[in-house]
Amino acid sequence: MGYKVKLNQFEGPFDLLVYLIENAEMSIYDIKISEITRQYLEYMDEMKKLEVPVAAEFMVLAAALIEIKSKMLLPRVSPDEDGVVSEDPRSELVEKLLEYKQFKAMAEMLQQREEAGLRILEKPQEDLAEYTGEADEYLTLDLKQFVAAFEQFLHKKKKVEEIRKHHVRTEKQRVTAEARMADISQFFRMEPDKTADFRELIQHRDDKYDVALTFSSVLELMKEHYLWAEQSYLYGEITIGATDLMKGEANDK
Amino acid sequence: MTSKKTIKAAFESMMFVWGQPLDVKEAAEIFNINWKDAYEYFKELQAEYEQEGRGIRIREINKSFQFVTAEENIEYIERLCTPVKHKRLSQSALEVLAIVAYKQPVTKGEIEAVRGIKCDRVIEGLQKKELVAEVGRSTAIGRPILYGTTDVFLKYFGFENLKDLPDIGNLDSLTVPEGPEDSLDLQQITIELPEE
Repeated sequence: MGYKVKLNQFEGPFDLLVYLIENAEMSIYDIKISEITRQYLEYMDEMKKLEVPVAAEFMVLAAALIEIKSKMLLPRVSPDEDGVVSEDPRSELVEKLLEYKQFKAMAEMLQQREEAGLRILEKPQEDLAEYTGEADEYLTLDLKQFVAAFEQFLHKKKKVEEIRKHHVRTEKQRVTAEARMADISQFFRMEPDKTADFRELIQHRDDKYDVALTFSSVLELMKEHYLWAEQSYLYGEITIGATDLMKGEANDK
Repeated sequence: MTSKKTIKAAFESMMFVWGQPLDVKEAAEIFNINWKDAYEYFKELQAEYEQEGRGIRIREINKSFQFVTAEENIEYIERLCTPVKHKRLSQSALEVLAIVAYKQPVTKGEIEAVRGIKCDRVIEGLQKKELVAEVGRSTAIGRPILYGTTDVFLKYFGFENLKDLPDIGNLDSLTVPEGPEDSLDLQQITIELPEE
């Protein structure tokens, strides 16, 4: 169980169906099942083409639509003269869709209220210790306990020191994202038409921090439309190049 | 017996210090008065702040009251400092919340039936945000967990209590008319039998 897949903006099969019905300007009470089923299946095909895994729930509704479609082919007007009509095979779906639409509307209402709610600020509960005089915690310990605690403290300290002896703590001056972005920009400004493999941009390949920093810097530059990147397959090489924006700026200089 | 004016003033001070919603019953106990009277006083205070258009307002959440800023002043507050921007809830989270709010106590299965899609992750996320909580177990097979909304939910969306939620019927003109199935069929007959 990994991640959540979001199909465009559709929150689920009902969301998609409601969209299709509204888009086709159909009455929800009179859904043209064959038309909607066709559109729905087309959409699912599209998903498959794009290699987006379609959630099982979408399949379930597709199956239901096809079932209704086949039932619609059967004569529904019962023979007796009262004109009593047997139940429309669509009514269950219509009811579900109506219910879903209602909650979708409620969700919109909540969204509006959320907007308003975020404009109201509250204060956290104040720390009253200063006034109530409970600020200092008095330890109720006898001498023995106190000595034991102190010994434990010394012991811990000794241990930490031992570890420190064996492991040298190195602290490198960490490069900032701004600096790295400047480096990368510089790289491409020198030769705007060159493309580079992502790894070429990393300065210390065995330093995870450096790799991550370079990666996020590239993403940031892409966001700002200075770079483009391409990866032809999963975990494949990432090719990076300068966009026209970057080239333009390089030429200006 | 302490005068009403004194009590009201004291409530103001208490709310100021307390910050978070102050429970009416707790406040009433301090003065040994009926909680309904205390509630009345809080309501009066709330109205006074409102009428005078003060920059501080009193918000009610489930029989608790707290001082908050007036909504329209957010611009100025933001100019003074940059309050933490809250991430807005996702569309799916809002949908699930709407269903929980109106159908509570409700099981995961019931929520999923309305949305037609699995909701485990969304519910988990809402629980983490404390907008939704487990409120018990259904007696149905498997005794599934029942979910309900919390006071955080009320606060977040600015509802005083659950009765404050707008009527579901008023929101959507598409509510099923009386005798839904009958009228559905009636409409369908006319269309299913073309003139030709």
